[in-house]
Amino acid sequence: MITDTRPLLDPDAVGTAQTSIARVVDALRRVILGKEDTIDEVVAALLGRGHVLLEGLPGLGKTELVKALSRLLSIDFRRIQFTPDLLPTDITGSHILQDVDGRKEFAFHAGPVFTNLLLADEINRASPKTQAALLEAMQERRVTIFGETRPLPLPFFVLATQNPIELEGTYPLPEAQLDRFMFKVDVAGVDRAVLEEILTTRVHGEPPVLTPVLDAAGLQRLFDAVDAVHMPRAVANYTSRLVAATHPESSDAPPQVRQFVKYGSSPRGAIAIGAAARGLALMRGKPNVGFDEIRRVAPAALSHRLVLDYSARLEGWTGRRLLAALIEAVPAVERGLPQTLEART
Amino acid sequence: MLGDNSVRLADDSTVPADRVPASLIPIVRRFSRRLRIGLFLDAFPQWAAGALLAAGCAALVCRLFVPAADPYLFWLLAAPALAILPAAVLSIRRAYRPEEVLALVDALTGGDGAVLTLAERHDQAWSHASQISRAAHAALPRFRPWRRFTIVVPALAFLVIAVLLPQRTPTAGPLPIADDVVSGLSATLKELQSHDLVTPEEEKQLQQEIERVRKAAQERMDASAWEAADAVKEKMAANAAAKRDAASWAQEALARYSAAGGSAGNPDAASAKAELSKALEALARSGALAGAPLDIQKMLAAGKLPGDAASLGKLAAALGQYLGDAQGRLGDVQGFGGRASRFDPSEFAAAGEGDGAGAGNTPGRGGITRGRADAKLTYGQESLPAERFKAQALPPGYVRSPDDWAPVVNMPGAPIVAPEASGRAAARAYAEDAGQAAWRRTLAPRHQSAVKKYFKP
Repeated sequence: MITDTRPLLDPDAVGTAQTSIARVVDALRRVILGKEDTIDEVVAALLGRGHVLLEGLPGLGKTELVKALSRLLSIDFRRIQFTPDLLPTDITGSHILQDVDGRKEFAFHAGPVFTNLLLADEINRASPKTQAALLEAMQERRVTIFGETRPLPLPFFVLATQNPIELEGTYPLPEAQLDRFMFKVDVAGVDRAVLEEILTTRVHGEPPVLTPVLDAAGLQRLFDAVDAVHMPRAVANYTSRLVAATHPESSDAPPQVRQFVKYGSSPRGAIAIGAAARGLALMRGKPNVGFDEIRRVAPAALSHRLVLDYSARLEGWTGRRLLAALIEAVPAVERGLPQTLEART
Repeated sequence: MLGDNSVRLADDSTVPADRVPASLIPIVRRFSRRLRIGLFLDAFPQWAAGALLAAGCAALVCRLFVPAADPYLFWLLAAPALAILPAAVLSIRRAYRPEEVLALVDALTGGDGAVLTLAERHDQAWSHASQISRAAHAALPRFRPWRRFTIVVPALAFLVIAVLLPQRTPTAGPLPIADDVVSGLSATLKELQSHDLVTPEEEKQLQQEIERVRKAAQERMDASAWEAADAVKEKMAANAAAKRDAASWAQEALARYSAAGGSAGNPDAASAKAELSKALEALARSGALAGAPLDIQKMLAAGKLPGDAASLGKLAAALGQYLGDAQGRLGDVQGFGGRASRFDPSEFAAAGEGDGAGAGNTPGRGGITRGRADAKLTYGQESLPAERFKAQALPPGYVRSPDDWAPVVNMPGAPIVAPEASGRAAARAYAEDAGQAAWRRTLAPRHQSAVKKYFKP
């Protein structure tokens, strides 16, 4: 058994990191009202160096959230508006024949993917061929064009948005593409109080002006701190059981999973949970991951990785709902209390 | 070996104390102890229920077949105590590992991973974190033993019912009745032996006959068994009567011989001597001399009575004393009830009828013609309990010869076929039933030609 012998983060380092993160989160909460959970998930995924797919109806602030994040972080930001006629080279870039000192030669023109923070707006409007241009970039953080592999600048995040209700002229993301997103965040509507707040504080819905609160170096320090967050073995065991239980053939799978899930999560899902849970723990000012962080990030990390049966749609079961049932069914500690003992609530 | 820097969680497992903050040590210990108790309480009810069921079955068997175990059955209520040992062994074998205890402490006390982290990483900088202090003061899980003990209740009820069941008494079968039949015979034979009124050969023969009667009664308990016992008793009574008669005759002959004086010239004395000799031979044949003094037996074996007066007087005195004793012993034999009559079955109480003594005065005994007026009416001739449901062979059946068959009655059913009867005649015969209109219909003139054409060849 390999034992992690690295020292824990000291309280000062954790406090500093928490403060930095809190500045980003607070600024985002000022821009996007009433979306605390969404913001927490996006920031946790960011700290885990993962890509995020924001799904929600039009006008709920998905794009605005990413734009606000780009303004808060002093890192390079590009936006690609995905359309049906978008080509892969429009994303990755291409070689263009140029006249250089009287000679014709190909010069590489980098596409918008060569950035730190990429907003892939309405990603499901592009064809699968174009969507596939992001596969290598998202996983390997590099791009291969004409046999030449070029690394992308680090950090590299893809924050994509898509509309779940428009089916005409859209191309659903393939499973391989979905699996590369650390989180799929469902952006829900807002309640009356939030609407009232927006109407009274925003003119034409314009968000407040933001100033950068974190540069690339600060972000890198945060990443280092996230990597130092400790995950106890029992918590890792819980995560692995949770992910394993998404497979219908697993002995731990609850009945709903057996009935409605065709394929469970890949190991990438467990890795995503671990990375995001570390970020969330640091966001909460903890040097370690607890069971609660796992429960918090698991729905966002796993819901889009489940391949559901057709009957699930008929019965009204979504990935999120299945994850809720899964978390209810899988105990945090593998060996629970004896039957004659009852935990106090 | 445990040092000062170790926290004992279970019997054979420890977690280094420097890995667990000092504030957590008490709750980890108490949690571990409670888990061990919980494991025991998990295992105990199953074993206790098993022990109670086994004890209940044992109690049931004892109630049915082992009456002697009655005073000890209440000890079976202590059967759950036997389950303590296996339950304890099982709970020790299933004991939680230290990592599992810490994971439970962390998950159930709000440790939020901090307890586990500090146990895995040696870092006291976080030992005063809020999660640690929250976990240190968290409430332990509460006991809910009744969840598992519900399975004990039916098993305990089964045992209590089995223990409280009335003891089954064995019903009288053929064996006790057979013993009853021969018990009187055996007692009479013993009485005869005690009075030296039976020779070893007679005793052996009687024993064999008694045993034969007993076996016959065991195999088939009916009137023949009683009659066989009756015959044996009559035989014993006849033997005793023969001995008594021989003794009486010998006493009378001895008295006449003594009165005659025993002189050789006296004709009365000679006849008295001859009679005495015959009486003594008869006495010897009857076996009544088996217990006589040796000198008398020697003299009688020689077949010669003393001729002198002194010896004769001495013999007469000794013989008279012996015969008197023998008569007394014969009179003392109680087994014949003072008479050598037919065997009375009423002396033997049948099963369930209580004591046979004084049965003649018991209301309801003796049949309808002999019971008292206020007695419960019985009809006599009732079957003995052993015979009540006894199979009875019926006489063999026989097949009737076909020659014996005779018709009982002739049923009018077969149709009488009369091909000579014309259709018209038959139609007339059934005209009442078939309807007049159908037959007597006349053809219309316009149809007659068509019908004729049809029937014409």
